Amino acid sequence: MINPKEYYLDTFRVTEPLMENLIAGALRSGGDYADLYFENTVYSDLLLRDGQVASGGLHTDFGVGIRVLKGDKTGYAYTESTDPAEMMQAAKAAATISLQGGVGAERAEASVGRHGGKPNPAADRYPMEQDWRETSASAFVPMLEKLQRLIESKDSRVIKVIAMLGSQVSDILMFNSLGELKYDTRPMGSLSVSVIFKQGEVVENKSASRSWRIGAEMMDDALLEELAAEVVSGIDERFQAIRPKGGKMSVVMGAGASGILLHEAMGHAFEADFNRKGQSVFSDKMGKRICDKGITIVDDGTIRGNRGSINFDDELVAGQRTVMVEDGVLTSYLHDRISSKFYGVPPTGNGRRESFRYHPIPRMRCTYMESGQAKSQDIIASVKKGVFVDQFSNGQVKIGEGDFTFYVKSGFLIENGRLSAPIKDINIIGNGPAALADMRMVADDLIIDPGTWTCGKEQSVPVSCGIPTVLVENLTVGGE
Amino acid sequence: MSMIDSREIELARKCLESAMAKGAQKVRVTLNKNIMDLAGTLNGELDKTSHCLDRSLSINLIVDGRFGSFSTNRIEDTDGFLDKAIEKVRMLAKDQYRDLPSPERTAKDAPEGTELGLCDPDYPNTDADRRIETALKASIFKSRPEGLVSEEAEYSETISDSLILDSQGLYCRHTETGFDYGVEMTVEDKQGNKFSGYWWDASVWRNKLDTSVICPKALERARAQMDPKPFKSGKYNMVIDSEVASRVVSPVLSALSAYAIQQNNSFLTGKVGQKVFPEGLTIIDDCRIAGQSGSRLFDSEGVATKTVPIIENGVVKQYFINTYMAGKMGMEPTLESAIRPRVKGWPRPGLDRQRILEMCGSGILVTGFNGGNSNSSTGDFSYGIEGFAFKDGTIIHPVREMLITGNFLTLWNNLTAAGEDARSCMSKLIPTLAFSNVDFSA
Repeated sequence: MINPKEYYLDTFRVTEPLMENLIAGALRSGGDYADLYFENTVYSDLLLRDGQVASGGLHTDFGVGIRVLKGDKTGYAYTESTDPAEMMQAAKAAATISLQGGVGAERAEASVGRHGGKPNPAADRYPMEQDWRETSASAFVPMLEKLQRLIESKDSRVIKVIAMLGSQVSDILMFNSLGELKYDTRPMGSLSVSVIFKQGEVVENKSASRSWRIGAEMMDDALLEELAAEVVSGIDERFQAIRPKGGKMSVVMGAGASGILLHEAMGHAFEADFNRKGQSVFSDKMGKRICDKGITIVDDGTIRGNRGSINFDDELVAGQRTVMVEDGVLTSYLHDRISSKFYGVPPTGNGRRESFRYHPIPRMRCTYMESGQAKSQDIIASVKKGVFVDQFSNGQVKIGEGDFTFYVKSGFLIENGRLSAPIKDINIIGNGPAALADMRMVADDLIIDPGTWTCGKEQSVPVSCGIPTVLVENLTVGGE
Repeated sequence: MSMIDSREIELARKCLESAMAKGAQKVRVTLNKNIMDLAGTLNGELDKTSHCLDRSLSINLIVDGRFGSFSTNRIEDTDGFLDKAIEKVRMLAKDQYRDLPSPERTAKDAPEGTELGLCDPDYPNTDADRRIETALKASIFKSRPEGLVSEEAEYSETISDSLILDSQGLYCRHTETGFDYGVEMTVEDKQGNKFSGYWWDASVWRNKLDTSVICPKALERARAQMDPKPFKSGKYNMVIDSEVASRVVSPVLSALSAYAIQQNNSFLTGKVGQKVFPEGLTIIDDCRIAGQSGSRLFDSEGVATKTVPIIENGVVKQYFINTYMAGKMGMEPTLESAIRPRVKGWPRPGLDRQRILEMCGSGILVTGFNGGNSNSSTGDFSYGIEGFAFKDGTIIHPVREMLITGNFLTLWNNLTAAGEDARSCMSKLIPTLAFSNVDFSA
């Protein structure tokens, strides 16, 4: 949902001449590019715990961030007021960067190009029939209570249910020294549930979530039923699960949430800032084959309603779909304006930020591998000894070395081509380039996981991930 | 030194009074104000500067037996916001256990914010040029150290001020300055493999932060990662460097939280008063030490902190129970969480990392964690680690792509040593720790 321009100007109590004046102030000391990022975010939450919705909140965050670029150096300041004098003071603070000497000859000194693309609305990727801000919390309280009842009705071992509904709507207005003006209203709804089960004296927990850039219409009976079914499914296996004997083995990544492998092990190393600084393991691999033919990895900001989608990124560049690896060859990094200038390529719309308090840096959106030709059952059948994994809680990567680890909440042993004992609470560890090179079979069943994935590289931004069933040889599995 | 000014205090008071006038029976208002100025360098050149000023009001409301939590950074204009907040609280279910802490439990000794002596009087005597000079001077990139491909560093100066008021007369404040320098070095070996090393330091006082030692230390840590060798899976002694040892202490502290206990999601449920850890483990909440970063005179409810044992000679001494959970669980309230936990040295005072390596003889020294997680219900964990194999108390080569797996109760009962080398710049004072019989997968 995108409102007329006047709505955003009114929200932030600014005019186009005032913004031009601020930009002029920001560039007065010699910067070669400046932009303004206005944000008004309303966040609301409801928490069900111990059988009732007895906690909730409302939070507002309002301000403007002002960035000045001098070559590839960044000056940044923000203010929580749009009073003209305070904004000008912030503009001058950001301009500090252009007052300093010491730029080396090898540092490019030029402005970033005009990349805003189409005027608003360039796209409408956030369906919002019902604005969260205009929907009373009283509509959601009975829905959270119903979710608890649904979960309890499905399994007698349920002893605690915690459910949380978070909704956020951000009005954004951006203006830069190239005269580009963009505005956007970004909704986000997230429903998550965590359940404690008890069987005899053994306690287990399980969680499930859904998150989309859509309006309050996401809350319906079908969603409650889907989430309740997911959170109780597989709990028998969880109680029976073992920790497998650790070691190097073949790992079949189940379709969907295993996409965290792409995000952690490859996606971060494809972010152009790490490559521009020579820190990434992929910094000298552009145009080279890095994995088998048939593997294509994409970072996509264009999927309507997806948690990682954007109409524009946070530096006025149109959202787009970026193919990072095409048929096994590294074809693109993920760029913001600074890195795109450095590499002499158009920006890819990956300049994102957590809020007006941060300057944009290259960030992923929705990262996934395209479907291949194989069948998932054939992939499992091809493994004599290994593990199948399908649920994860988190992961981490060392950008320079490419070493990654991610935590497996559930899966199964594979013995002689068949799923056998359930497993849980293990780590899988490996090296990004090596794991890519060790990917052998890709199934035709891509799933983009709809959970509440958040990436924490310096700042928190919403992302999503996906993958088809994939066989990776030679990963280290931590077990007993 | 004062940062929150009298006008802002008045705005916080008015917010509290207005909430009461609009129908709230009990209110707590927390006003936070922070300023951070930063200069970042890349390869010895200035790369970025930033100036941040944040102010926000957090408002906890109890209305007709119902509770809500709210925040806004538009502190001059809270009237309409409070109307919406109270309307929202009235839609929630009643919760008889929501309350403010009783006045006798709250801090009375923090009216100024400066009582702990955590403000550097030299803080205002600075400007952007001086910060940039500090950051550039600390860089070593231009001396072209062998193998160095990237040096990325940030120097920051911060001042944070927090004021809590409530409708029962609570008034307490905490003000603290901070000076922080951190650097990430990336080096390359002759085969083009990259290795990174990070080091940082921080101090409440500008003149106590020695930025000159940080880049060389980060470079040393990056170079030390070069030429890793495979290491067989098995059970080994594990020594955890003090820089990262909080990774095995935090899950224990989390398991002592009343929220986890009440939700049956803690592996320490029902363990208060029981000896579930080894004799050698004592953790004290050492939170009221003047001049020590991390010290606080009150928690987020305004409850006065106390220097108390959390675990003493292996016995669990307390849970972390705030006012709400105390009512709900029918237990005596303590604090919301540990403020400045300190692990005591054992089995003798004065141990540091080298002495502990010598005590252990051989095993794996863990200097970093890479991902992983733990199951809060069972205490089972699995973490990726990086570090070094050591033999006869001497480091012999780096190891990578290894995992440790186990259960926290088992791990802690295999504690063999705790040093006295915790870094004072960290909020948790966790020294080098040593454990026997740890499962490593490689």
